[in-house]
Amino acid sequence: MTQSDEKPNRPEPEVSRVGAPFWEAAGNKKLLIQHCKACNENIFYPRIRCPKCHREELDWIEASGKGVIYSYSVVLNNAPSGFLADMPYVVAIVRLEEGVQMLSNIVDCDPDTIHCDMPVEVVFREVGKFTLPLFRPAEQI
Amino acid sequence: MSRLKGNIAVVGIGEVPTGRYPERDCMDGCVTSAVQAIADAGIDKNEIDCVVPCGTVFSGAYNSDLVTSRVVEELGLSRVHNNVQVFSGGASSASMLKVAGSLVQSGMARHVLCVHSEKLGTGLSGQAGIDLFALAGIHREWEVPFGQHYSTIAGLVTTRYKYETGTTDEQITAVQVSNRKWAELNPNAMFRKPLTVEEVMKSKMLATPIRAKHSNMLADGAAAFIVTSAERAKDLTETPVYVLGSGGRVTHHSLSQEADITRFGYAEAAADAFEEAGLSPKDIDIAEIYDSYPIFEIIALEEMGFVERGKGGAFFLEGRTWPGGELPTTTNGGMSSQGHTGGGGGFAILVEAVRQLMGKAEKRQVPDARFAAVTATGGTYVDAQVEILGNEIS
Ligand SMILES: [Zn+2]
Repeated sequence: MTQSDEKPNRPEPEVSRVGAPFWEAAGNKKLLIQHCKACNENIFYPRIRCPKCHREELDWIEASGKGVIYSYSVVLNNAPSGFLADMPYVVAIVRLEEGVQMLSNIVDCDPDTIHCDMPVEVVFREVGKFTLPLFRPAEQI
Repeated sequence: MSRLKGNIAVVGIGEVPTGRYPERDCMDGCVTSAVQAIADAGIDKNEIDCVVPCGTVFSGAYNSDLVTSRVVEELGLSRVHNNVQVFSGGASSASMLKVAGSLVQSGMARHVLCVHSEKLGTGLSGQAGIDLFALAGIHREWEVPFGQHYSTIAGLVTTRYKYETGTTDEQITAVQVSNRKWAELNPNAMFRKPLTVEEVMKSKMLATPIRAKHSNMLADGAAAFIVTSAERAKDLTETPVYVLGSGGRVTHHSLSQEADITRFGYAEAAADAFEEAGLSPKDIDIAEIYDSYPIFEIIALEEMGFVERGKGGAFFLEGRTWPGGELPTTTNGGMSSQGHTGGGGGFAILVEAVRQLMGKAEKRQVPDARFAAVTATGGTYVDAQVEILGNEIS
Protein backbone atom coordinates (compact mmCIF):
# COMPACT_ATOMS: atom_id res chain seq x y z
CA MET A 1 0.00 0.00 0.00
CA THR A 2 1.24 3.48 -0.80
CA GLN A 3 1.72 6.07 1.93
CA SER A 4 0.76 8.82 -0.44
CA ASP A 5 -2.64 10.54 -0.25
CA GLU A 6 -2.51 10.90 -4.01
CA LYS A 7 -5.55 9.20 -5.53
CA PRO A 8 -5.20 7.36 -8.83
CA ASN A 9 -6.74 9.02 -11.87
CA ARG A 10 -9.97 7.92 -13.47
CA PRO A 11 -9.33 5.05 -15.87
CA GLU A 12 -9.25 6.17 -19.48
CA PRO A 13 -11.25 4.38 -22.15
CA GLU A 14 -9.38 1.52 -23.78
CA VAL A 15 -9.95 2.77 -27.30
CA SER A 16 -10.80 0.18 -29.96
CA ARG A 17 -10.26 0.56 -33.72
CA VAL A 18 -13.96 1.05 -34.33
CA GLY A 19 -14.38 3.32 -31.31
CA ALA A 20 -11.57 5.75 -32.25
CA PRO A 21 -13.73 8.07 -34.43
CA PHE A 22 -16.22 8.40 -31.56
CA TRP A 23 -13.52 9.57 -29.14
CA GLU A 24 -12.00 11.92 -31.70
CA ALA A 25 -15.42 13.51 -32.33
CA ALA A 26 -16.09 13.79 -28.60
CA GLY A 27 -12.92 15.90 -28.44
CA ASN A 28 -14.72 18.28 -30.81
CA LYS A 29 -17.89 18.18 -28.69
CA LYS A 30 -19.78 15.97 -31.09
CA LEU A 31 -21.70 12.87 -29.99
CA LEU A 32 -21.52 10.27 -32.75
CA ILE A 33 -23.36 7.01 -33.06
CA GLN A 34 -22.98 4.38 -35.75
CA HIS A 35 -25.60 3.86 -38.41
CA CYS A 36 -25.93 0.81 -40.68
CA LYS A 37 -26.45 1.82 -44.29
CA ALA A 38 -27.65 -1.68 -45.14
CA CYS A 39 -30.43 -2.13 -42.57
CA ASN A 40 -30.86 1.43 -41.20
CA GLU A 41 -30.11 0.41 -37.60
CA ASN A 42 -28.72 3.01 -35.19
CA ILE A 43 -25.91 1.44 -33.17
CA PHE A 44 -24.16 2.25 -29.91
CA TYR A 45 -21.55 1.31 -28.75
CA PRO A 46 -19.58 1.20 -32.03
CA ARG A 47 -19.32 -2.32 -33.46
CA ILE A 48 -17.07 -4.11 -35.90
CA ARG A 49 -20.10 -5.36 -37.83
CA CYS A 50 -23.74 -4.33 -37.62
CA PRO A 51 -25.11 -6.48 -34.77
CA LYS A 52 -28.45 -6.71 -36.57
CA CYS A 53 -27.46 -7.68 -40.14
CA HIS A 54 -23.66 -8.34 -39.90
CA ARG A 55 -22.90 -6.05 -42.85
CA GLU A 56 -19.89 -3.75 -42.73
CA GLU A 57 -21.46 -0.66 -44.33
CA LEU A 58 -21.39 1.38 -41.15
CA ASP A 59 -21.15 5.13 -41.07
CA TRP A 60 -21.53 7.76 -38.36
CA ILE A 61 -24.36 10.14 -37.57
CA GLU A 62 -24.31 12.96 -35.07
CA ALA A 63 -26.79 12.31 -32.27
CA SER A 64 -28.99 15.11 -30.97
CA GLY A 65 -27.45 14.66 -27.52
CA LYS A 66 -30.92 14.51 -26.00
CA GLY A 67 -32.37 11.59 -24.15
CA VAL A 68 -33.82 10.37 -20.86
CA ILE A 69 -32.36 8.65 -17.83
CA TYR A 70 -33.37 4.99 -17.96
CA SER A 71 -31.84 4.38 -14.52
CA TYR A 72 -29.18 5.86 -12.23
CA SER A 73 -27.21 5.29 -9.04
CA VAL A 74 -25.40 7.83 -6.86
CA VAL A 75 -22.03 6.57 -5.61
CA LEU A 76 -21.35 7.72 -2.04
CA ASN A 77 -18.86 5.15 -0.69
CA ASN A 78 -16.50 2.34 -1.70
CA ALA A 79 -15.92 3.55 -5.27
CA PRO A 80 -13.23 2.00 -7.45
CA SER A 81 -9.81 3.63 -6.80
CA GLY A 82 -9.93 5.90 -9.85
CA PHE A 83 -13.24 7.42 -8.70
CA LEU A 84 -12.61 7.98 -4.98
CA ALA A 85 -11.87 11.66 -5.63
CA ASP A 86 -15.09 12.06 -7.66
CA MET A 87 -17.54 10.90 -4.97
CA PRO A 88 -20.37 11.59 -4.92
CA TYR A 89 -20.86 10.85 -8.62
CA VAL A 90 -23.84 9.61 -10.58
CA VAL A 91 -23.76 6.61 -12.93
CA ALA A 92 -26.69 6.44 -15.34
CA ILE A 93 -27.95 4.54 -18.36
CA VAL A 94 -29.16 7.18 -20.82
CA ARG A 95 -31.62 6.35 -23.61
CA LEU A 96 -30.87 8.66 -26.53
CA GLU A 97 -33.60 9.96 -28.85
CA GLU A 98 -31.99 7.86 -31.59
CA GLY A 99 -33.02 4.68 -29.76
CA VAL A 100 -29.66 3.57 -28.37
CA GLN A 101 -28.54 3.27 -24.74
CA MET A 102 -25.24 4.41 -23.26
CA LEU A 103 -23.62 4.47 -19.85
CA SER A 104 -22.53 7.89 -18.63
CA ASN A 105 -22.50 10.23 -15.64
CA ILE A 106 -25.08 12.85 -14.71
CA VAL A 107 -23.46 16.17 -13.76
CA ASP A 108 -24.32 19.81 -12.99
CA CYS A 109 -27.22 19.05 -10.66
CA ASP A 110 -28.12 18.02 -7.13
CA PRO A 111 -28.18 14.17 -7.21
CA ASP A 112 -31.32 14.21 -5.04
CA THR A 113 -33.27 15.83 -7.90
CA ILE A 114 -32.52 13.05 -10.39
CA HIS A 115 -35.25 10.58 -11.34
CA CYS A 116 -35.91 7.84 -13.88
CA ASP A 117 -37.20 9.06 -17.28
CA MET A 118 -35.81 12.55 -16.58
CA PRO A 119 -34.86 14.41 -19.80
CA VAL A 120 -31.13 15.05 -20.13
CA GLU A 121 -28.74 16.57 -22.67
CA VAL A 122 -25.11 15.89 -23.46
CA VAL A 123 -22.27 17.99 -22.08
CA PHE A 124 -18.60 17.32 -22.79
CA ARG A 125 -15.97 17.18 -20.05
CA GLU A 126 -12.24 16.65 -20.26
CA VAL A 127 -10.88 13.83 -18.13
CA GLY A 128 -7.13 13.39 -18.65
CA LYS A 129 -6.40 13.08 -22.39
CA PHE A 130 -10.04 12.27 -23.17
CA THR A 131 -13.25 14.20 -23.58
CA LEU A 132 -16.17 12.20 -22.17
CA PRO A 133 -19.80 12.73 -23.15
CA LEU A 134 -21.68 13.27 -19.87
CA PHE A 135 -25.28 14.39 -19.35
CA ARG A 136 -27.05 17.11 -17.38
CA PRO A 137 -30.74 17.81 -16.83
CA ALA A 138 -32.21 19.21 -20.07
CA GLU A 139 -32.94 22.91 -20.05
CA GLN A 140 -36.57 23.76 -19.50
CA ILE A 141 -38.16 25.31 -22.58
CA MET B 1 -35.13 -28.93 -25.54
CA SER B 2 -32.33 -30.95 -24.01
CA ARG B 3 -32.42 -34.75 -23.79
CA LEU B 4 -30.93 -34.88 -20.31
CA LYS B 5 -34.22 -35.20 -18.41
CA GLY B 6 -34.08 -38.15 -16.05
CA ASN B 7 -30.85 -39.47 -17.61
CA ILE B 8 -28.33 -37.61 -15.49
CA ALA B 9 -27.83 -37.53 -11.73
CA VAL B 10 -25.69 -35.79 -9.14
CA VAL B 11 -24.53 -38.46 -6.70
CA GLY B 12 -22.06 -36.76 -4.39
CA ILE B 13 -21.35 -33.33 -2.98
CA GLY B 14 -18.63 -31.66 -0.91
CA GLU B 15 -18.14 -28.19 0.51
CA VAL B 16 -15.76 -26.43 2.88
CA PRO B 17 -16.93 -23.52 5.07
CA THR B 18 -17.12 -20.15 3.31
CA GLY B 19 -15.41 -17.19 4.98
CA ARG B 20 -11.96 -15.75 5.63
CA TYR B 21 -9.39 -18.53 5.96
CA PRO B 22 -5.92 -17.01 5.40
CA GLU B 23 -4.18 -20.26 6.32
CA ARG B 24 -6.26 -22.35 3.89
CA ASP B 25 -4.64 -22.47 0.48
CA CYS B 26 -6.98 -22.33 -2.52
CA MET B 27 -5.94 -25.88 -3.50
CA ASP B 28 -6.79 -27.07 0.05
CA GLY B 29 -10.43 -26.19 -0.54
CA CYS B 30 -10.39 -27.76 -3.95
CA VAL B 31 -8.92 -31.07 -2.76
CA THR B 32 -10.95 -31.26 0.47
CA SER B 33 -14.31 -30.65 -1.21
CA ALA B 34 -13.44 -33.04 -4.06
CA VAL B 35 -12.47 -35.81 -1.61
CA GLN B 36 -15.77 -35.26 0.25
CA ALA B 37 -17.76 -35.46 -2.98
CA ILE B 38 -15.99 -38.67 -4.10
CA ALA B 39 -16.66 -40.28 -0.70
CA ASP B 40 -20.27 -39.07 -0.73
CA ALA B 41 -20.76 -40.62 -4.19
CA GLY B 42 -19.33 -43.93 -3.01
CA ILE B 43 -17.07 -44.31 -6.04
CA ASP B 44 -13.40 -45.14 -6.24
CA LYS B 45 -11.34 -42.07 -7.11
CA ASN B 46 -10.02 -43.79 -10.22
CA GLU B 47 -13.53 -44.15 -11.61
CA ILE B 48 -13.47 -40.42 -12.32
CA ASP B 49 -12.76 -40.06 -16.03
CA CYS B 50 -13.35 -36.33 -16.46
CA VAL B 51 -12.51 -33.33 -14.26
CA VAL B 52 -14.27 -30.00 -14.78
CA PRO B 53 -12.66 -27.24 -12.71
CA CYS B 54 -14.50 -23.94 -12.54
CA GLY B 55 -12.51 -20.81 -13.31
CA THR B 56 -11.19 -18.73 -10.46
CA VAL B 57 -10.71 -14.95 -10.45
CA PHE B 58 -8.48 -14.09 -7.48
CA SER B 59 -5.33 -15.30 -9.26
CA GLY B 60 -4.55 -15.89 -12.92
CA ALA B 61 -1.62 -18.12 -11.95
CA TYR B 62 -3.85 -20.36 -9.83
CA ASN B 63 -6.36 -20.52 -12.65
CA SER B 64 -3.60 -21.69 -15.00
CA ASP B 65 -2.96 -24.54 -12.55
CA LEU B 66 -6.61 -25.57 -12.82
CA VAL B 67 -6.56 -25.38 -16.62
CA THR B 68 -3.46 -27.58 -16.75
CA SER B 69 -4.79 -30.49 -14.69
CA ARG B 70 -3.34 -29.73 -11.26
CA VAL B 71 -6.49 -31.12 -9.61
CA VAL B 72 -5.93 -34.46 -11.39
CA GLU B 73 -2.36 -34.60 -10.10
CA GLU B 74 -3.20 -33.49 -6.53
CA LEU B 75 -5.96 -36.09 -6.26
CA GLY B 76 -3.85 -38.81 -7.89
CA LEU B 77 -6.54 -39.66 -10.44
CA SER B 78 -5.14 -42.25 -12.84
CA ARG B 79 -7.90 -42.63 -15.43
CA VAL B 80 -8.94 -39.13 -16.36
CA HIS B 81 -9.53 -38.70 -20.11
CA ASN B 82 -10.05 -34.94 -20.05
CA ASN B 83 -9.55 -32.00 -17.71
CA VAL B 84 -11.72 -29.27 -19.16
CA GLN B 85 -12.38 -25.94 -17.56
CA VAL B 86 -15.90 -24.57 -17.81
CA PHE B 87 -16.31 -20.99 -16.72
CA SER B 88 -19.27 -18.63 -17.03
CA GLY B 89 -18.64 -16.50 -13.93
CA GLY B 90 -21.44 -16.91 -11.41
CA ALA B 91 -23.36 -19.09 -13.87
CA SER B 92 -20.53 -21.63 -14.07
CA SER B 93 -22.44 -24.19 -12.01
CA ALA B 94 -25.24 -24.31 -14.58
CA SER B 95 -22.78 -24.55 -17.47
CA MET B 96 -20.75 -27.24 -15.69
CA LEU B 97 -23.85 -29.32 -14.97
CA LYS B 98 -24.92 -29.06 -18.62
CA VAL B 99 -21.44 -29.91 -19.96
CA ALA B 100 -20.85 -32.74 -17.49
CA GLY B 101 -24.36 -34.09 -18.08
CA SER B 102 -23.90 -33.97 -21.85
CA LEU B 103 -20.54 -35.76 -21.67
CA VAL B 104 -22.16 -38.53 -19.62
CA GLN B 105 -25.23 -38.71 -21.84
CA SER B 106 -23.07 -38.99 -24.99
CA GLY B 107 -20.91 -41.72 -23.46
CA MET B 108 -17.78 -39.54 -23.46
CA ALA B 109 -17.53 -39.80 -19.67
CA ARG B 110 -19.01 -41.91 -16.86
CA HIS B 111 -18.12 -40.04 -13.66
CA VAL B 112 -17.41 -36.33 -13.87
CA LEU B 113 -15.90 -34.35 -10.98
CA CYS B 114 -16.99 -30.68 -11.03
CA VAL B 115 -15.04 -28.57 -8.56
CA HIS B 116 -14.68 -24.93 -7.59
CA SER B 117 -12.36 -23.13 -5.19
CA GLU B 118 -11.79 -19.40 -4.66
CA LYS B 119 -9.81 -17.16 -2.35
CA LEU B 120 -11.47 -13.79 -2.82
CA GLY B 121 -11.73 -13.23 0.95
CA THR B 122 -8.06 -13.39 1.90
CA GLY B 123 -6.29 -13.61 -1.47
CA LEU B 124 -6.86 -9.87 -2.15
CA SER B 125 -6.88 -6.65 -0.11
CA GLY B 126 -10.24 -4.89 0.38
CA GLN B 127 -9.60 -2.13 -2.16
CA ALA B 128 -8.07 -4.67 -4.58
CA GLY B 129 -11.35 -6.59 -4.35
CA ILE B 130 -13.34 -3.44 -5.15
CA ASP B 131 -11.01 -2.65 -8.06
CA LEU B 132 -11.12 -6.21 -9.40
CA PHE B 133 -14.92 -6.00 -9.52
CA ALA B 134 -14.73 -2.57 -11.21
CA LEU B 135 -13.16 -4.39 -14.18
CA ALA B 136 -14.34 -8.01 -14.17
CA GLY B 137 -16.85 -8.36 -16.97
CA ILE B 138 -17.34 -4.57 -17.33
CA HIS B 139 -16.69 -3.00 -20.75
CA ARG B 140 -13.30 -1.25 -20.63
CA GLU B 141 -14.12 1.25 -23.37
CA TRP B 142 -17.80 2.07 -22.72
CA GLU B 143 -18.47 1.47 -19.03
CA VAL B 144 -15.27 1.41 -16.93
CA PRO B 145 -14.44 5.09 -17.74
CA PHE B 146 -17.74 6.16 -16.14
CA GLY B 147 -17.16 4.44 -12.79
CA GLN B 148 -19.39 1.42 -13.33
CA HIS B 149 -18.83 -1.33 -10.75
CA TYR B 150 -21.02 -3.99 -9.13
CA SER B 151 -22.62 -1.65 -6.56
CA THR B 152 -23.75 0.69 -9.35
CA ILE B 153 -24.92 -2.24 -11.45
CA ALA B 154 -27.13 -3.42 -8.57
CA GLY B 155 -28.08 0.23 -7.94
CA LEU B 156 -29.18 0.80 -11.55
CA VAL B 157 -31.28 -2.37 -11.58
CA THR B 158 -32.85 -1.71 -8.16
CA THR B 159 -33.62 1.95 -8.94
CA ARG B 160 -35.47 1.13 -12.17
CA TYR B 161 -37.26 -1.85 -10.61
CA LYS B 162 -38.49 0.32 -7.71
CA TYR B 163 -39.62 3.00 -10.20
CA GLU B 164 -41.64 0.53 -12.28
CA THR B 165 -43.17 -1.51 -9.46
CA GLY B 166 -43.40 0.79 -6.43
CA THR B 167 -41.47 -1.73 -4.33
CA THR B 168 -39.95 -0.18 -1.19
CA ASP B 169 -36.42 -0.36 0.17
CA GLU B 170 -37.80 -2.22 3.18
CA GLN B 171 -39.30 -4.91 0.93
CA ILE B 172 -36.07 -5.27 -1.03
CA THR B 173 -34.09 -5.44 2.20
CA ALA B 174 -36.33 -8.28 3.38
CA VAL B 175 -34.40 -10.58 1.02
CA GLN B 176 -31.29 -10.11 3.16
CA VAL B 177 -33.26 -10.99 6.30
CA SER B 178 -34.73 -14.11 4.68
CA ASN B 179 -31.31 -15.26 3.49
CA ARG B 180 -29.91 -14.72 6.98
CA LYS B 181 -32.70 -16.79 8.60
CA TRP B 182 -31.42 -19.72 6.54
CA ALA B 183 -27.74 -18.94 7.10
CA GLU B 184 -28.31 -19.07 10.86
CA LEU B 185 -28.89 -22.81 10.27
CA ASN B 186 -25.93 -23.29 7.91
CA PRO B 187 -22.56 -24.12 9.53
CA ASN B 188 -20.76 -23.38 6.22
CA ALA B 189 -22.11 -19.79 6.04
CA MET B 190 -19.91 -16.77 6.75
CA PHE B 191 -22.61 -14.72 8.53
CA ARG B 192 -24.90 -16.54 10.96
CA LYS B 193 -26.07 -13.88 13.43
CA PRO B 194 -29.70 -12.73 13.11
CA LEU B 195 -30.17 -9.67 10.88
CA THR B 196 -32.98 -7.10 10.86
CA VAL B 197 -34.31 -4.76 8.17
CA GLU B 198 -33.40 -1.81 10.43
CA GLU B 199 -29.79 -2.96 10.72
CA VAL B 200 -29.43 -3.18 6.94
CA MET B 201 -31.11 0.21 6.44
CA LYS B 202 -28.70 1.82 8.94
CA SER B 203 -25.62 0.52 7.15
CA LYS B 204 -23.48 2.80 4.99
CA MET B 205 -24.91 3.84 1.60
CA LEU B 206 -22.58 2.67 -1.19
CA ALA B 207 -24.40 3.40 -4.46
CA THR B 208 -28.07 4.36 -4.14
CA PRO B 209 -30.13 2.54 -3.09
CA ILE B 210 -27.55 -0.16 -2.29
CA ARG B 211 -26.18 -0.11 1.25
CA ALA B 212 -23.22 -2.02 2.68
CA LYS B 213 -25.48 -4.75 4.08
CA HIS B 214 -27.26 -5.18 0.74
CA SER B 215 -23.87 -6.19 -0.61
CA ASN B 216 -22.27 -9.55 -0.50
CA MET B 217 -18.89 -10.06 1.13
CA LEU B 218 -16.00 -11.51 -0.85
CA ALA B 219 -14.98 -14.83 0.68
CA ASP B 220 -12.85 -17.95 0.43
CA GLY B 221 -14.75 -21.11 -0.32
CA ALA B 222 -14.85 -24.35 -2.27
CA ALA B 223 -17.33 -27.02 -3.28
CA ALA B 224 -17.59 -30.05 -5.56
CA PHE B 225 -20.14 -32.41 -7.07
CA ILE B 226 -20.06 -35.66 -9.03
CA VAL B 227 -22.21 -36.21 -12.13
CA THR B 228 -23.03 -39.63 -13.57
CA SER B 229 -25.83 -41.38 -15.44
CA ALA B 230 -29.16 -42.06 -13.76
CA GLU B 231 -28.57 -45.76 -14.42
CA ARG B 232 -25.18 -45.78 -12.69
CA ALA B 233 -26.58 -43.61 -9.88
CA LYS B 234 -28.92 -46.43 -8.83
CA ASP B 235 -25.88 -48.63 -7.98
CA LEU B 236 -24.29 -45.87 -5.92
CA THR B 237 -26.85 -44.16 -3.76
CA GLU B 238 -30.41 -44.28 -2.52
CA THR B 239 -30.68 -40.54 -3.03
CA PRO B 240 -29.60 -39.62 -6.55
CA VAL B 241 -30.64 -36.14 -7.58
CA TYR B 242 -31.83 -36.05 -11.18
CA VAL B 243 -31.56 -33.25 -13.69
CA LEU B 244 -35.16 -32.80 -14.86
CA GLY B 245 -35.08 -29.61 -16.88
CA SER B 246 -32.73 -26.84 -17.98
CA GLY B 247 -33.13 -23.44 -19.55
CA GLY B 248 -30.90 -20.46 -20.15
CA ARG B 249 -30.90 -17.08 -21.86
CA VAL B 250 -27.91 -14.83 -22.46
CA THR B 251 -29.18 -11.25 -22.72
CA HIS B 252 -26.14 -8.93 -22.79
CA HIS B 253 -22.51 -8.34 -21.82
CA SER B 254 -22.71 -4.66 -20.76
CA LEU B 255 -25.60 -3.73 -18.48
CA SER B 256 -26.15 -0.50 -20.44
CA GLN B 257 -26.95 -2.57 -23.53
CA GLU B 258 -29.79 -4.51 -21.88
CA ALA B 259 -33.23 -3.27 -22.95
CA ASP B 260 -35.05 -4.31 -19.76
CA ILE B 261 -32.89 -4.33 -16.66
CA THR B 262 -35.88 -5.23 -14.47
CA ARG B 263 -36.53 -8.64 -16.01
CA PHE B 264 -33.55 -10.21 -17.85
CA GLY B 265 -34.16 -13.68 -19.35
CA TYR B 266 -35.63 -15.64 -16.44
CA ALA B 267 -39.16 -15.97 -17.85
CA GLU B 268 -37.96 -17.69 -21.05
CA ALA B 269 -35.28 -19.76 -19.30
CA ALA B 270 -37.77 -20.98 -16.69
CA ALA B 271 -40.40 -21.76 -19.31
CA ASP B 272 -37.93 -24.05 -21.10
CA ALA B 273 -36.82 -25.72 -17.86
CA PHE B 274 -40.37 -26.29 -16.61
CA GLU B 275 -41.50 -27.60 -19.99
CA GLU B 276 -38.68 -30.15 -20.11
CA ALA B 277 -39.39 -31.21 -16.51
CA GLY B 278 -43.15 -31.37 -17.10
CA LEU B 279 -43.58 -29.30 -13.95
CA SER B 280 -44.79 -25.83 -13.04
CA PRO B 281 -43.81 -23.41 -10.25
CA LYS B 282 -46.52 -24.80 -7.95
CA ASP B 283 -44.79 -28.23 -8.02
CA ILE B 284 -41.52 -26.79 -6.71
CA ASP B 285 -40.70 -27.38 -3.03
CA ILE B 286 -37.55 -25.23 -2.82
CA ALA B 287 -36.38 -22.22 -4.84
CA GLU B 288 -32.60 -21.99 -4.74
CA ILE B 289 -32.18 -18.51 -6.22
CA TYR B 290 -28.86 -16.81 -6.97
CA ASP B 291 -28.69 -13.47 -5.17
CA SER B 292 -25.42 -11.48 -4.93
CA TYR B 293 -27.73 -8.47 -4.37
CA PRO B 294 -31.33 -8.73 -3.12
CA ILE B 295 -32.99 -7.37 -6.25
CA PHE B 296 -31.85 -10.34 -8.34
CA GLU B 297 -33.60 -12.80 -6.04
CA ILE B 298 -36.85 -10.82 -6.36
CA ILE B 299 -36.63 -10.50 -10.15
CA ALA B 300 -35.87 -14.21 -10.62
CA LEU B 301 -38.74 -15.38 -8.37
CA GLU B 302 -41.19 -13.10 -10.17
CA GLU B 303 -40.08 -13.79 -13.72
CA MET B 304 -40.02 -17.56 -13.13
CA GLY B 305 -43.67 -17.41 -12.08
CA PHE B 306 -43.45 -18.02 -8.33
CA VAL B 307 -44.90 -14.63 -7.44
CA GLU B 308 -46.58 -11.83 -9.36
CA ARG B 309 -44.44 -8.98 -10.72
CA GLY B 310 -44.02 -6.26 -8.11
CA LYS B 311 -45.07 -8.55 -5.25
CA GLY B 312 -41.71 -10.27 -4.71
CA GLY B 313 -40.44 -7.90 -2.04
CA ALA B 314 -43.59 -8.29 0.04
CA PHE B 315 -43.34 -12.07 -0.40
CA PHE B 316 -39.93 -11.99 1.33
CA LEU B 317 -41.04 -9.44 3.95
CA GLU B 318 -44.01 -11.60 4.96
CA GLY B 319 -41.66 -14.49 5.69
CA ARG B 320 -43.06 -16.75 3.00
CA THR B 321 -39.50 -17.63 1.93
CA TRP B 322 -38.20 -18.29 5.45
CA PRO B 323 -37.63 -21.65 7.16
CA GLY B 324 -41.13 -23.07 7.57
CA GLY B 325 -42.51 -20.75 4.87
CA GLU B 326 -44.54 -21.80 1.84
CA LEU B 327 -41.58 -21.46 -0.57
CA PRO B 328 -38.24 -22.05 1.17
CA THR B 329 -35.87 -19.86 -0.84
CA THR B 330 -32.06 -19.75 -1.06
CA THR B 331 -31.67 -22.12 1.85
CA ASN B 332 -27.89 -21.82 2.21
CA GLY B 333 -28.23 -18.08 2.94
CA GLY B 334 -27.13 -16.96 -0.52
CA MET B 335 -24.06 -14.94 -1.28
CA SER B 336 -25.27 -12.21 1.08
CA SER B 337 -24.91 -14.56 4.08
CA GLN B 338 -22.88 -17.56 2.96
CA GLY B 339 -20.34 -15.29 1.19
CA HIS B 340 -19.35 -14.40 -2.38
CA THR B 341 -16.81 -16.80 -3.85
CA GLY B 342 -16.71 -15.52 -7.44
CA GLY B 343 -17.89 -18.27 -9.74
CA GLY B 344 -18.80 -20.17 -6.58
CA GLY B 345 -22.02 -18.29 -5.79
CA GLY B 346 -24.01 -20.35 -8.23
CA PHE B 347 -21.97 -23.43 -7.39
CA ALA B 348 -22.88 -23.22 -3.68
CA ILE B 349 -26.59 -22.80 -4.38
CA LEU B 350 -26.59 -25.79 -6.76
CA VAL B 351 -24.79 -27.93 -4.16
CA GLU B 352 -27.36 -26.76 -1.58
CA ALA B 353 -30.25 -27.83 -3.83
CA VAL B 354 -28.68 -31.29 -4.18
CA ARG B 355 -28.06 -31.46 -0.42
CA GLN B 356 -31.71 -30.64 0.31
CA LEU B 357 -33.00 -33.18 -2.20
CA MET B 358 -30.66 -35.84 -0.74
CA GLY B 359 -32.14 -35.07 2.69
CA LYS B 360 -28.74 -34.05 4.07
CA ALA B 361 -29.45 -30.41 4.99
CA GLU B 362 -29.71 -31.14 8.73
CA LYS B 363 -31.17 -28.21 10.69
CA ARG B 364 -32.41 -26.45 7.59
CA GLN B 365 -33.78 -29.55 5.86
CA VAL B 366 -37.02 -28.81 4.03
CA PRO B 367 -39.25 -31.79 4.90
CA ASP B 368 -40.37 -34.05 2.06
CA ALA B 369 -38.76 -31.91 -0.63
CA ARG B 370 -39.00 -33.55 -4.05
CA PHE B 371 -38.34 -30.80 -6.60
CA ALA B 372 -36.08 -27.74 -6.53
CA ALA B 373 -35.57 -24.88 -8.99
CA VAL B 374 -32.02 -23.52 -9.10
CA THR B 375 -30.85 -20.33 -10.79
CA ALA B 376 -27.49 -18.82 -11.65
CA THR B 377 -26.19 -15.81 -13.52
CA GLY B 378 -22.75 -14.56 -14.46
CA GLY B 379 -20.89 -11.27 -14.80
CA THR B 380 -23.16 -8.22 -14.94
CA TYR B 381 -26.20 -10.55 -14.83
CA VAL B 382 -25.51 -11.39 -18.46
CA ASP B 383 -27.59 -14.55 -18.42
CA ALA B 384 -30.44 -16.26 -16.64
CA GLN B 385 -29.88 -19.96 -15.96
CA VAL B 386 -32.55 -22.25 -14.55
CA GLU B 387 -32.25 -25.92 -13.59
CA ILE B 388 -35.02 -28.12 -12.23
CA LEU B 389 -33.71 -30.94 -10.02
CA GLY B 390 -35.60 -33.72 -8.27
CA ASN B 391 -35.07 -36.81 -6.16
CA GLU B 392 -37.60 -38.57 -8.37
CA ILE B 393 -38.15 -38.39 -12.11
CA SER B 394 -41.10 -36.12 -12.89
ZN1 LIG C 1 -27.33 -3.60 -40.31
